[in-house]
Amino acid sequence: MREVSIVGVGLHPWGKFKDKTFVEIGTVAIANALKDADVEWKDIQAIFSGIYIYGGNAGHISGQYLESVFGETGIPVVNVYNACATGSAAIRMAYNSIAAGETDTALAVGVDISPEGFLSAKSDNPKQDRDVLRWRMTGMPNPVYWALECRKRMAKYGTTDEDLARVKVVLSQYGSKNPNARYKKTYTLEEVANSLMVCDPLRLLEVCATSDGAAAVILSAAPAAIRKANRPVKIAATTMGSAIYGDPTLRISALSAPARAEAPLLSESYSASQQAYKKAGIGPEDIDVLELPDNSSWHYLQYLETCGFCGEGEAEKMLRDGQTQIGGKVAVCPSGGFSSFGEAIGAQAIWQVVEASNQLRGRCGERQVPDAKVAMAQTYGLMGNSGTTILKI
Amino acid sequence: MEQAQAQQGMVPALPDLFDFAGERVRLRSAKCNSCGTYFFPESHAQHRSGCSREGVEKVLLNNRGKLASWTIEHYMCPPPFKTSANIAPYGIGLVEFPEGIQVAGLIMESNLDVLKIGQDVETITYTLYKNDEGQDVVTWAFRVLKQA
Repeated sequence: MREVSIVGVGLHPWGKFKDKTFVEIGTVAIANALKDADVEWKDIQAIFSGIYIYGGNAGHISGQYLESVFGETGIPVVNVYNACATGSAAIRMAYNSIAAGETDTALAVGVDISPEGFLSAKSDNPKQDRDVLRWRMTGMPNPVYWALECRKRMAKYGTTDEDLARVKVVLSQYGSKNPNARYKKTYTLEEVANSLMVCDPLRLLEVCATSDGAAAVILSAAPAAIRKANRPVKIAATTMGSAIYGDPTLRISALSAPARAEAPLLSESYSASQQAYKKAGIGPEDIDVLELPDNSSWHYLQYLETCGFCGEGEAEKMLRDGQTQIGGKVAVCPSGGFSSFGEAIGAQAIWQVVEASNQLRGRCGERQVPDAKVAMAQTYGLMGNSGTTILKI
Repeated sequence: MEQAQAQQGMVPALPDLFDFAGERVRLRSAKCNSCGTYFFPESHAQHRSGCSREGVEKVLLNNRGKLASWTIEHYMCPPPFKTSANIAPYGIGLVEFPEGIQVAGLIMESNLDVLKIGQDVETITYTLYKNDEGQDVVTWAFRVLKQA
């Protein structure tokens, strides 16, 4: 298979834009990526677009509407949805299209404009849409699932409320220095610990917001495109993982889980990351920058272990010892994380890759990880969706 | 069965999830006798890889289990969760049943200040609201036994 590089990236800022359409914000991200790559629209040979789930019929074919803005050229346009790993799926398909020789240059894009407050059910058909059950029968919005796992973790490993607060403190330091971040305030331990309780033990400042945003990356193996690119970044691996039987995690949307663990927690993420390490021929010890899915402080701790950055039960110590900060063992979420951006479902995984590639291209100013050569973007998606992308420069 | 339950003046918010005809409330599960997996809901098949998927039978879970985890939700859940009144803050538990399956549900009739992993719980019904026919529309919930 051919080596594939990221030759350009683009974002629409993260925030709330309910007066804009998904097409408008997607257009901004794509235009920025084309400009960054110095690639013309006619050179794009395929589009892989995250399905915009709040856009009904049109949102399900988001790629077609975005193509229309820039010029319909008859190229393959595929629309994909993998929950919060949607962006990973789009990138992986763009990568595979190029690596297999179907195309030389392809676009992966994701957009989201989320409803206010908690995300909720998307249909009223409980027979077909099993997700309706956890809303109607048990009143379980997403943070409940994280809180249940977090409570288990506290009982098993002694995670403290201070550990959960410390995650936010660390992330906000980086968010404050990221011009693209939605939330730029820095926080003290006291401020986080005193924020409103949402789902015990998780407080308001320990769970991420939902945001609107759009992100795009242009991938290429064309020598001309790579020559023109400003510090192209190689994709060492881009994978998708699904859950493994016997995973005791209560996955978002599910009402049950096995009691006896025969697979790791967050098995879909374990699977995606293990595949990526194998494909890239590296291990977690080789990663300089890790963008993990910090939907909550629990995620931050659990993902360090799930992806092999420390042993079971050791994440709290890694955090407390500063080993997840710039200058530590691995710089975790130097973007500021979901904590500083909020989550835009279809765009989030692509945003992570944009931030990770910015680090390798030396564009991060005060948040720059010195001598960053290898970066990893890891996603978390409900009901067994996950993807991992490893980048090298 | 559900006709008998309706005659009690109670109807489930959604069908085929729990049985409350008898003295004890029991969740409706299914067991695959080939790979040994229990499913909940009963239709949510999750076989072991390579299983023939033969010999699946509907079963009722034990009325009692142990609290494997808990949380207190401080914000009212948006629709389609429907209750007659704002019930926040409310408890949600993950209960491990002797069959080897963990099931989530509301925690009701329990002191939320003293919830602890490992507590014994029993399955009960919880009335979400009354329908136009004056019946109690119910879901399942867990009550902690022997609390301080």
